[in-house]
Amino acid sequence: MITFEHVSKVYPDGTHAVHDLTFDAPSGRLTVLVGPSGCGKTTSMRMINRLIDPTEGVVSLDGEDTRSVDAIDLRRKIGYVIQSAGLFPHRTVVDNVAALPRLLGAGKKEARADALALLEKVGLDERYALRYPYQLSGGQQQRVGVARALATDPPFLLMDEPFSAVDPVVRTQLQDSFLQLQRDIGKTIVMVTHDIDEALKLGDRVAVFREGGTLAQVATPAELLAHPADPFVADFVGASRGYRALGFVEATATVRLAEEVTVRVGARPADVGGADPSTGSGQRDGWSVVVDDDGAPLGWVDLKATGEVVEERHIDFSGTVARADGSLRDLLDAALSSPTGRGLVAGPDGRLRGSVVADEVLRHLGRGREAEVAS
Amino acid sequence: MNIPGWFLDPAHWTGADSIPVQVGYHLLYSGIALLIALAIAVPLGVYIGYTGRGELLVAGAANALRALPTFGLLVLVVMLVAPHIGSRLAFVGPTIVVLVLLAVPPILSGTVAGIQGADPGAVGAARATGYTRPQILWHVQVPCALPLFLSGVRNATLQIVSTATVAAYVSLNGLGRYIIDGRASSDYTQMAAGAILVAIVALVLELGFLGLGRVIVSPGLTRAAAPTFRRNRTARPGPASAVGPVSPATPVSPSSPREATS
Repeated sequence: MITFEHVSKVYPDGTHAVHDLTFDAPSGRLTVLVGPSGCGKTTSMRMINRLIDPTEGVVSLDGEDTRSVDAIDLRRKIGYVIQSAGLFPHRTVVDNVAALPRLLGAGKKEARADALALLEKVGLDERYALRYPYQLSGGQQQRVGVARALATDPPFLLMDEPFSAVDPVVRTQLQDSFLQLQRDIGKTIVMVTHDIDEALKLGDRVAVFREGGTLAQVATPAELLAHPADPFVADFVGASRGYRALGFVEATATVRLAEEVTVRVGARPADVGGADPSTGSGQRDGWSVVVDDDGAPLGWVDLKATGEVVEERHIDFSGTVARADGSLRDLLDAALSSPTGRGLVAGPDGRLRGSVVADEVLRHLGRGREAEVAS
Repeated sequence: MNIPGWFLDPAHWTGADSIPVQVGYHLLYSGIALLIALAIAVPLGVYIGYTGRGELLVAGAANALRALPTFGLLVLVVMLVAPHIGSRLAFVGPTIVVLVLLAVPPILSGTVAGIQGADPGAVGAARATGYTRPQILWHVQVPCALPLFLSGVRNATLQIVSTATVAAYVSLNGLGRYIIDGRASSDYTQMAAGAILVAIVALVLELGFLGLGRVIVSPGLTRAAAPTFRRNRTARPGPASAVGPVSPATPVSPSSPREATS
């Protein structure tokens, strides 16, 4: 656990970068510091590994005052990922990751073997191992940056806007694969970002800073969306809070899915069976779900509008596919984006489970609220 | 003027003042001057680059030394030194001093610029992960400084080699002999041959530095792919081609194609 107790940082010119900060970042969890620029979030993070020393107060790691430890020893216990990756340009990818273990006395062979394993863990193919940083894209460099920070298997990890220098699509990929990694490694992480969406997506806890270096609120993402402490937090968390809050409500088995008629590319509409009146399921309006050979949904097809044979060009790809174990937000989005109003839902194996309509999602949400009130 | 004839004349290839001997002297003076200049400029440059102290000194000294008239300085130093030293050293010493003064500024500014110009992200990451200051210097800043350092040394060497001809003016050996003696006897063919020889020596050294650069500077810095990369590049164009000792049959990267191609 990383603990801040009444920590302040005042610069000689009188600027208060951080003012009387008290909070903790629990072990094995990802705590995000978020706020507008100049709010002291980066300063706060850099006080953890003493890149900046606090003017007042105590920062401690697992109860140990950071000032009682040599700064170099302290930093070696704390992995660090910076915005632009900051890779060593003169070393290959694998040697970048192996650099710190080698510096601390690990053998070349084992350090490289460990580095290769780590690169695989962060989702970088080993064919990139012998490249130099300039030969990688920004996203790939950042993966290497994460692998390097984990090379000595430090219990703590600091991340300074790690995903902000890449384009939105790559950012989402990096975030997703980092979340998966964190589920594996369970490090105690403090991450700084100015992006509230990133904070809500990645953080187990989110600390919202305001100008002047004070803490506005520390809470889980769901709490932050549901119960912002004050107008500043509410404003910072932003619009469409209600919709985004659905992202933190898990769909349960009680969401009723309807069955759908499936076809494959190459099928003949004439051969596809009609609706089954006894169950009320199936092809109600001529729209069917096109699935691939593994049963994963590709999109919708209007069988009334195709010719003799269903071809790929007939498929409507507009609908998103939600996972049955995803959030209500995913389910609702699937329903809203579907050309039929029926959102496609797939199981963890990717196979189509059925469809859901927006009303059903909202009914489910209502039932959850009632249960919450009752309990 | 029959310059090829001059080079083909066997008399110029044997004896005490033959081409190989004069090239040898030329390289000897240049080499000594370069080594002394390195011994002065490198530690000083590393210190200044490391501490950030004395940057003004570098800029000032570099400009001042560049403005020095080499020839005038040589004559001046010889006149000051010669009366006190009897031997040939009275001429060798001043020549070396002048060449060293010429070579220090480019090496010094190359070293300082290289160390200070090391990728701030890399330096910051090293510091944040527990590298000590000396470790940052030796493991990050110095390797990153090599390209600029080497170009400084190259610059210095070329200046030394072309200027070492003045040694002949104070009666020393070296390729300047052909130029000075040719002028004295109005033998323009010999003068031209001397100039060509200087140019050739400079070119050969230049090539040597290129080779040295290939060996000691990381391909990651010069952004010239290492030989193994290049072979693969030509075989399969595009940045997504396989690299290194991995067979082409490696599975597709789990990172997205977008990342791989961007």
